[in-house]
Amino acid sequence: MVRQIKQKPMNWIERLYIFEAFRGLFTTMKHYLRGFFRYETLPTVPYPEMKPEILPTYRAKHRLMLRPDGTPRCVACFMCAAACPANCIYIEADSSLDGRIEKKPSRFEIDHLVCVFCGLCVEACPVDAIRMDTCDTSYVHRTREDFIANLETLTQWNPNDYSQNDVLSQAAPGGIKNQQALESWKLRVY
Amino acid sequence: MSNYYNMPALPTEKSPKVPITVDDREVMVPGDTNLLEALQTVGIETPHICYHPYLPVSGNCRQCMVEVDNPRGMGLAIACYTPVRPGMKVATPVTSPRVKNARKAVSEFMLVNHPLDCPICDKAGECSLQENYITSGQNESRLSGAAGKQYHGTPENEFKDTKGQVRGGKRLNIGPRVILDEERCVQCDRCVRFMRHVAHDEQLQLVSRGDHTTIATFPGEKLDHPYDLCVTDVCPVGALTGKHFRFEQRVWMLSRTPSISMDDSLGANIWIDHNNGFVWRLMPRCNPEVNRSWLSNDSRLAYLQFRENRLLNTDKGISESASAVSKMLSSSAGKIAAVLGGSCTLEDAFAVKELQNAFPNRVEVFVGSLDTAGTPDGIAKSGDPVANRKGFALLGFEISAEELCKRAGEFETLVTVHADLWGANASLAAALSAIPNRIALSAFENATTQASTVRLGVNHWSEVSGTMVNCNGFLQKLNAAPVSPSENLMPAFRVLGILSGKPVSSASEAFLKLREQVPVFAEFTHESVRSAGVKLNGVSV
Repeated sequence: MVRQIKQKPMNWIERLYIFEAFRGLFTTMKHYLRGFFRYETLPTVPYPEMKPEILPTYRAKHRLMLRPDGTPRCVACFMCAAACPANCIYIEADSSLDGRIEKKPSRFEIDHLVCVFCGLCVEACPVDAIRMDTCDTSYVHRTREDFIANLETLTQWNPNDYSQNDVLSQAAPGGIKNQQALESWKLRVY
Repeated sequence: MSNYYNMPALPTEKSPKVPITVDDREVMVPGDTNLLEALQTVGIETPHICYHPYLPVSGNCRQCMVEVDNPRGMGLAIACYTPVRPGMKVATPVTSPRVKNARKAVSEFMLVNHPLDCPICDKAGECSLQENYITSGQNESRLSGAAGKQYHGTPENEFKDTKGQVRGGKRLNIGPRVILDEERCVQCDRCVRFMRHVAHDEQLQLVSRGDHTTIATFPGEKLDHPYDLCVTDVCPVGALTGKHFRFEQRVWMLSRTPSISMDDSLGANIWIDHNNGFVWRLMPRCNPEVNRSWLSNDSRLAYLQFRENRLLNTDKGISESASAVSKMLSSSAGKIAAVLGGSCTLEDAFAVKELQNAFPNRVEVFVGSLDTAGTPDGIAKSGDPVANRKGFALLGFEISAEELCKRAGEFETLVTVHADLWGANASLAAALSAIPNRIALSAFENATTQASTVRLGVNHWSEVSGTMVNCNGFLQKLNAAPVSPSENLMPAFRVLGILSGKPVSSASEAFLKLREQVPVFAEFTHESVRSAGVKLNGVSV
């Protein structure tokens, strides 16, 4: 069905144009001056100086969770790589140094230029090793290679940035529950 | 337990057909086999763990339960050890809830203490236990989380995992090539039967009783046998895994290309498992007439060398280099000696024949690469390193390369195709250095390419399509896996085609020309040779 919308015909003042132009300029000046005197009421965020508030449920940059001894929780099962629709996760597996754990990743890379931030890797992970709750949405790098997050950059996060109720984050080294977790962990492997 | 006498009788084309009733449906099945194989011929898969067509029936897993009529009515029986009887009634889970329950219970029992290792298990994706659980298992666990999995194996291998659960027997080094995981083992004893009845070297045993049973070698001994990696194939779960493939790839990420192992004249049928342009493993491909389900360690681990020391044509295009060599050959009038190495396909050999036709009375063809032949081991190796010797003989090439070494003075040009003469026997090959022009077509940089004046890099046998005739007269087909390390490489027969001035574009085209000249192959084309191969008529074995 075609719906025709008839525009209201302009009256002769509008057709004169000059008064309408000044009315438009008045709106612009209103916002301009609001930026000077009532800055907080503006609906936009002055991005580099002020960051928007992002909830932890937002699918942002990935991080790899850590065991109490500081090794990544990842067991290199390739489930995230298998689930990834963009094929941006590259894993190489190796034997774990901890005798109680079978496998560990020797390489774990996520190409953020290819990633579509669907969060399927987080869903697929059987050991809750990968999360996307860093609230970090800025990707600024000089070269394409720098956009590839590796084992080192994925594990560089501070437990203090995360909720105190987040047990897994706080059990990592530097977290408030790390000491307690280490005691039940018992064995330290470097 | 098992012995030679209960080796399963497999159905053949000559098996008498008998009528049986399966799920109230009358079907004709082979009459001289067991019920499991018979049901398979009519498309009914029966889940099984311990049964293997080329191992004696042990019947210990009880997974293949079906209902069979007996004087007291219908009763549960294991399909793998029940012979087919004409007129028997069989019930599968389709009609019998009892069978369904029995299989479900067996599956549940097997998984009671089986670790939840699937995400990190190398067998996951091709594991019988997983498959059976999907087809006939219980969908939800009835085990309480507090009880968890328990380990009952060898006490010295026991440990507490990071959650405080008792675990044990992980990554036990039972041999130079195989790793044992006691926890994952379901005690099907396939590996024990393989070592006892196929390898004839009883190195593995089941020790202890009940749920304390584990697989073990004798004290102080290691599992070490030329076929020991076959136990990782027969293992239905991830208990025995090969070190060469450990943690390399997950099996579902691999693509498979059916091919033939070209390092032995039995021509063992293999799967080339590749991914992203790399070969990750070679697996035996079941061919009842050739290698059954077995593959020797040498053939299986050969892939580790497929990428090493490759001869790549770095300076210029291979076709330009080949045309230059072709001009060189046609400008002189001296005799040419062509040596066909072991891994040459029939197409390569035919391309040499075309070379013979292109330069009449100038080309003499020799076979082999000075390697010494071993003896057949009766499993999956004939011992002869010249894989396609029978095929060369059918094309009329039978003079050995040793003969060439004696008569080296007669020739002006030497063309070696996949033949590492200097590498196999440097003292014999030294005589060949007297030949002024030495052209090497080789996949690898080796002693022969070092000793040659012209080096042309060609594709390895894993990267080419072609055909070969094995020592028993079977025409078998190789398929090219997409793993060529460089685009500037060609199969040897295409390079030889350029040398003789009769270029061919594909192996199937070369085969069509070949069958015109060799009557034995007249009825075949590349496409008509199936993966199981064809027995050639009138070829002496």
